[in-house]
Parts: sequence; C-alpha cells; structure tokens
Amino acid sequence: MIGMIKKPIEEILGYLEGKKRILIYGCGGCATVFHTGGEAEVNEMKKVLVENGKEVLAAVSVPFGEFSCYAPWVIKRISGYMEELENCDAVLMMSCGDGLQVMREIMEEEFGLVKPIYPATNPVGHMGGGPRIFKEKCIQCGDCELGKVSGICPLTQCPKSLLNGPCGGVRKGGKCEVNPDMDCAWVQIYRRLKELGELEKMDEILPPKDWSKTQRPRVLEVEPLSPGE
Amino acid sequence: MAEPFRKILKSGKFIVTAEVGPTKGTNIQKMIDHIELLKLKVDALNITDNQGAIMKYPSLGGCLLIEERGGEPILQVTCRDRNRLSIQSDLLFAFSRGIENVLCLTGDALKMGDHPQAKPVYDIDSVQLIQLVKILNSGKDIAGSKLNGGVDFCIGAAATPSSDPIEPQLIKYRKKLTAGVDFIQTQAVYDLDDLRRFVDYSRNINEEVKILAGIILLSSVGMAKWLNENIPGILVPGDFIDKLAEAPEGKGLSKGIEIAGELIRKIKDKEICDGVHIMAIGREEKVLDILEAAGI
Repeated sequence: MIGMIKKPIEEILGYLEGKKRILIYGCGGCATVFHTGGEAEVNEMKKVLVENGKEVLAAVSVPFGEFSCYAPWVIKRISGYMEELENCDAVLMMSCGDGLQVMREIMEEEFGLVKPIYPATNPVGHMGGGPRIFKEKCIQCGDCELGKVSGICPLTQCPKSLLNGPCGGVRKGGKCEVNPDMDCAWVQIYRRLKELGELEKMDEILPPKDWSKTQRPRVLEVEPLSPGE
Repeated sequence: MAEPFRKILKSGKFIVTAEVGPTKGTNIQKMIDHIELLKLKVDALNITDNQGAIMKYPSLGGCLLIEERGGEPILQVTCRDRNRLSIQSDLLFAFSRGIENVLCLTGDALKMGDHPQAKPVYDIDSVQLIQLVKILNSGKDIAGSKLNGGVDFCIGAAATPSSDPIEPQLIKYRKKLTAGVDFIQTQAVYDLDDLRRFVDYSRNINEEVKILAGIILLSSVGMAKWLNENIPGILVPGDFIDKLAEAPEGKGLSKGIEIAGELIRKIKDKEICDGVHIMAIGREEKVLDILEAAGI
C-alpha cells in the first residue's frame, strides 16, 4: 500500500488560489486506510473548501476497495460527473500521485480536458501491516533480494541499503545507527537466518545492485482483467 | 620522503598511522601544519572524508597535500556521497597523483551531519568497494572495460572489534577479507581482550592482513560521553570515563594523552596486533605527545 499523510491545508489552498469551482475526487484504496482520501475526508474537505469561499461542484467519495489508480474504475465513476468536470476550474485529487496522474491522463486522453489538478496528500512510502501501525517494506527495486536475506529487505530496513552486512555504527544491543529505536536490519537478518539454519547465505558477497532496474519512469503492459473488473 | 605504506606493512615493524581532519573551507593552512608535523613521524596519514557527514575539504585534496610534501597518504573513500562511476574516477586521479593507499568505508549516516537533507548515495557498500578497487587493480573497471593505464592500490578497510552483537559484524568482516584487503584500521578500542579475540579471529582466516587498533584521544568526561552518544561504533567504557574524571581541573587532555599512550604501550608490549591508528580528533598536534607517552 502507499502510505500517505495529508498535505497542510494552507498548501492546498495555495494551489487553489484563483480557482473557484472545484471538483474533489477521493480514493477507496490506500487513501481510505490512511484517512487521507476516504469518504469522511472527502466530505470534510468539501466543508473546508466551502468555508474558504470555494464552490464545490462535486465531492466524489469512492467506496472502500475501489482504488483511484485503476483507470477503468476511474473512467466509470467520473463519467457520472462530466458536467461538473467540464465546468470546474480545478480538480483536487485526494489520492496518491498515481491516482492524480491517472485522473489527469483520463481527463486529457478520454475527455480532451486540460485542467489544473492538484494533490491533497504526501505519499510517504510503500507500506504494509495494520490495522493501526504500517511500516515501509518495499522500494520496488525491480530485483527482489528477499530470497537471499530470509525475508527482511535490507534496501528498505537499512537506511544505507547495505547488501553485505551491518555497518560499523550498530549501537549496543544491535540497534540501528540511524534509527536507534529499530533493530539493525542486518542483526535482524542474522538472527532469522540463524533460526532458519541458513547462516551460510550471509557469507555470500552480494554484488553491486543493478539500479538500472529502478530507472524511472517504468512501464508495464499486461493482459487486462475481464471486462467489468 | 616517506616509505611506501605497502612496504611498511610487510616490514614486521609496529605500525603507526594517524588521521588529519580537513577544514570546512579553503583555508587549509592548519591542515598543512598538521601534515608537516606528522608526515615523517608516522608511517602513513589518513585524511578523513566528510567525517560524521559534515561537509569538509575532501580527503583527495588532503592526500594530495601529503603526497606533495613527501608524506604517505591514505585516501578515505566512503560510499555515502559518490556512486560507482565517481568513485572509480576519483581513484584513477588519486593513483595518477601518487596516492596509492585507500581505506574503503560505508560512511556515517547523513542524519548525524550538517546536511541531513542531502540524498544518500550508497550505490555500493564497503565490501563491494573493496572488490571494486581489486578489479581496478587488475586493469579493468567494474563494467569490464580495460583501463588505459592502470592502478595498484594498497587496500584497507575498517572493523569494529567491540560491536554488540559481534557475530553479524564478523560475518561482514570475513567478507571484507575475502574481497581482498591488505590492512585494517579498527574503530576505537578500549577492551584489549576484545581486540585480541578479534585479531586471533582475523589471523585464523588470513595471517597476512595487518590490523591497526584505533586509538581515540579523549580530552574530558564530556567528550567521552558525547562520543558514546553521537559517534557510531564508539563505546568508551565506564572505567575509562572514571579515569578521566580523576584528572584535576583543566588536566583532562593530559589524562587523555596518558590513557592513549598506555593503551598503545600495552598493545605493543603484549603484541596484540600489528600497530595502531591514532585519531586525535581536532587535536592532531597532540599525536606526538601520545607517541611519547607510549614510549614510541
């Protein structure tokens, strides 16, 4: 999931300066889990924008389970708000950057609309866990190392993304040099490999990472799911 | 003119290296003064590389100053600030200007320095860096292309003999030995039993690698506690802090020199390892006093 926090309202109002008629669009995916773009937040944002002199043409709440980065679902839902979309001065997207840019492309390519579109959130990491605590797990490196390191990602859990063991800065008791509240990623990997009886995996010198696999922007082409999904 | 460090490593003598910390700016006179003071009194001089993630005059620049003045420099390279391209380029330049010794380091985290918003690089780690230097030594870059004019570095790495827990550190250390180092400069040591255990462990794997124990000059209780809290990999034990506390007002530095000298003398007399690496942070002019206190 993409962990998110809300942007400060002052920043959002700054983007919307001079734009009176606004369409708000939420997200039923990660933004609902992180309370940055679910139904409650969309309704709250409508209230705040109206208090700040805006005219909210539509505040589109998206039900939980419908993520706003999946274009077929966005096209289906926004098609019911074409008048508002055509008449608005700006769209405020309460999703992550994926959702915002998907919406922008849909507006341009499906409907021929070139309009300002602004973010309401700051994405802060690819996270997993819950229901309350979420932690960053994956940096989408394109060449997953988890099979070599007992299922603990050193690129994400180690602030220095080290591949061959801990740095010399490990604090007493095995705590991380950079985040003293955390166990050093490599101490964690060592303990788990030991428990699995696979410590010899740590003896292997892993070569320099192929960072070209993270060269952005990345594109994937897949077989679409069945119609209606 | 200083002897080549790689020759000294094979000489069997008790080796002494020291570090000089560069300045934050281009007013390099103090650094030059430290270099002139120490260049022929120690076997080699390290210049630190944005130590503590604080922006300073570069190690490469400081090493050139040492080389030009007839000393023997050890270039410190961290993985924090440069990717594999610029590391290789810098090494080509360094060798072309007579710098033949390199210490391969991970690099202190940006968070602890004065540019915490910078983007950390860590394109490679210290083990891969050792391998990189080895590959350059073989006449190619790490993409496999032949070099037009090669290098032949003497390769060093760091170690932390008193890390807790020690086992993951030792596994990484083994990898450094496998990757191919000629010498080790350890983080500050205070527990000589830990040091001896570490040296025995290392020699069981590779007898040839020379180990130099890190010695930090303490100047006060406050400094010792500050090091413990802020500098990764250093832990000044309670009994050393007590010794510093015993020093009369204003005599903390003298006590620190005495402590450092005593540590070095014990290491030398008991033949615990192959030498020492003296880090008199901010007080490079005291290195000679430490050597005198050690009877060297």
